[in-house]
Amino acid sequence: MAGAARGVGARLATGAFNAVGIGFAVVMAFPVYWMINTAFKPVNEVQTFTPKFLPDHPTLDNFFSALHAPHFVDDLKNSLLITAASVVLSLVVGFLGALAIARFQFYGRRAYITAILLVQMVPFNAVVIPLFLMLNRAQLTDTLPGVILTYLVFVLPYTVWTLRGFISNVPRELDEAALVDGCTRWQTFWRIILPLTAPGLVATSIYGFIQAWNEFIIVNTLTSSPDKQTLMVWLASNQTLRGTTWGPLMAGATLTSLPVVVFFLIIQKNIATGLTAGAVKG
Amino acid sequence: MDVATRPTVDVPASPATAVPSRRRLARRPTPGAAWLLVAPSLVVLVALLGYPLGWMIVLSFQRMSLRQLITGTAPPWVGLDNYTRTLTDPFFWHVVARTVVFTVVAVVLSIGVGLLVALLMRRVSTWVRLAMIVAMLFVWAMPRLVSTQVFKWLVDADFGVVNWLIDRLPGVDFHEHSWFISPVQGFVVITAVVLWGAIPFLAITLHAGMSQVPKELEEAATVDGASSAQVFRHVTLPILRPLIVIVTTLSVIWDMQVFEQIWVMRDTKPEQDYFTLGIYSYVQSFSRSNYSLGSAIAVLTVLLMLGVMAFYIRRMFQMGELD
Repeated sequence: MAGAARGVGARLATGAFNAVGIGFAVVMAFPVYWMINTAFKPVNEVQTFTPKFLPDHPTLDNFFSALHAPHFVDDLKNSLLITAASVVLSLVVGFLGALAIARFQFYGRRAYITAILLVQMVPFNAVVIPLFLMLNRAQLTDTLPGVILTYLVFVLPYTVWTLRGFISNVPRELDEAALVDGCTRWQTFWRIILPLTAPGLVATSIYGFIQAWNEFIIVNTLTSSPDKQTLMVWLASNQTLRGTTWGPLMAGATLTSLPVVVFFLIIQKNIATGLTAGAVKG
Repeated sequence: MDVATRPTVDVPASPATAVPSRRRLARRPTPGAAWLLVAPSLVVLVALLGYPLGWMIVLSFQRMSLRQLITGTAPPWVGLDNYTRTLTDPFFWHVVARTVVFTVVAVVLSIGVGLLVALLMRRVSTWVRLAMIVAMLFVWAMPRLVSTQVFKWLVDADFGVVNWLIDRLPGVDFHEHSWFISPVQGFVVITAVVLWGAIPFLAITLHAGMSQVPKELEEAATVDGASSAQVFRHVTLPILRPLIVIVTTLSVIWDMQVFEQIWVMRDTKPEQDYFTLGIYSYVQSFSRSNYSLGSAIAVLTVLLMLGVMAFYIRRMFQMGELD
């Protein structure tokens, strides 16, 4: 913008910043790359004192031994089932709550919002003690419904809070126009609010999916039989069998992260805004 | 569906129309409708969270052990015994100190690095920024358990690539170096995983926040002769402050609860030198079946975090009320 000298200086500075930026990206990506790299190596290339930065003889063996490892498939099924059930439940229950705080003024609204926010902060590894005792008494420990119910509480607050944002973005004037035109409240909900918040529902459910899929402490505490656990417990316990077989473990880790990474990339923007909604505008 | 496809932005939201319509809506539906909508989530929260939370407090005044768990008999009341035992135990205070130091170090590092990366993202060329964002998104998406296992493999004593890299440095012997014999070094690795996992959210959020700062303000300051450091200090930072406050509180809450990273890094059996409050309470409850002692520690942890939590909630509430 100023003289030619300034332009050269600016370009040099950008070059330097670019170099730092690339260095940062490389350092960040390195562990992910190393996980995938290890997953494709045969055993004798994993355990070398001079690491190999690319496999000489890439192989899928590690993936097969992960898939055939005891309980991997069971745990994969459990992960899918638990995740899907808790997300669907939390969407249904959460949408109603979100609708109430976005569209109604009622006695106790403030208290309800506070409760929702407070719950998000509750350290779950603390509540897991009474939860375990409670579900134990109800004979729900070491069962999938027990885990699903717990995950419902765990995903619900975020669901309510984000959906509230999406619903408030639908102008009230649309509701009113529909009511004036003779829609019932139910029709207004079904024809106006629901379709307009569909993208929000997708984003929220994906976030719930990631939360439930990645959870470890609760499922590790509530379940004890290997065929009732999830992939996260499988990943954590794999190491203690007989030393650590890094190849299959990294292959299992790659497979476990795959669905989350894909989903995450789709909705990344919503997660950030959900956690800090309005912080700058406000 | 016609109405649904209408763009939502062109509706004027002037306060003049918003206020009466809100009042009208508030009157029309019966208050019962709102309560009906809220009821399911309330029931779930009370039954599966409120009740356990209350029970946790009750437990901390009892002596619940494996015997009561198996026989189903009521645990005896012991009053403040669990608290006095915990609070007079020097080991507990070691754990508190370790948790606080870890939290402070992790939060300061992650916010500091997050800010620097966010600033860097504004200065680099577009393709470099894209590379940075892509790398960070992959990191952000990684399950905590996976990243912990990967880091454990990176610093493996025999074949870890990080050991090999450090060993390249002249005069350093890191061959077969075990990082976990010394808890300080062990916590360096643990902090590294936590930091690595936290930076993407922080940097991307802070960068998004910075791009909301009006360009004219920064340009005006530059024209008036402010250096780029001064522009950041006096223009960008004040506008960014609410966002920084929020992400710092969130980081404190998250880092103080650190669990999986330590648990898995130490093969699900952490040594006492690796205990933080979360681990300590968990081990007391589930490894030693001292459910009551574990609850007392959990209650004390929550009390320790309460200030930070209250602060976050107040901020979120103010923002939630605005829209």
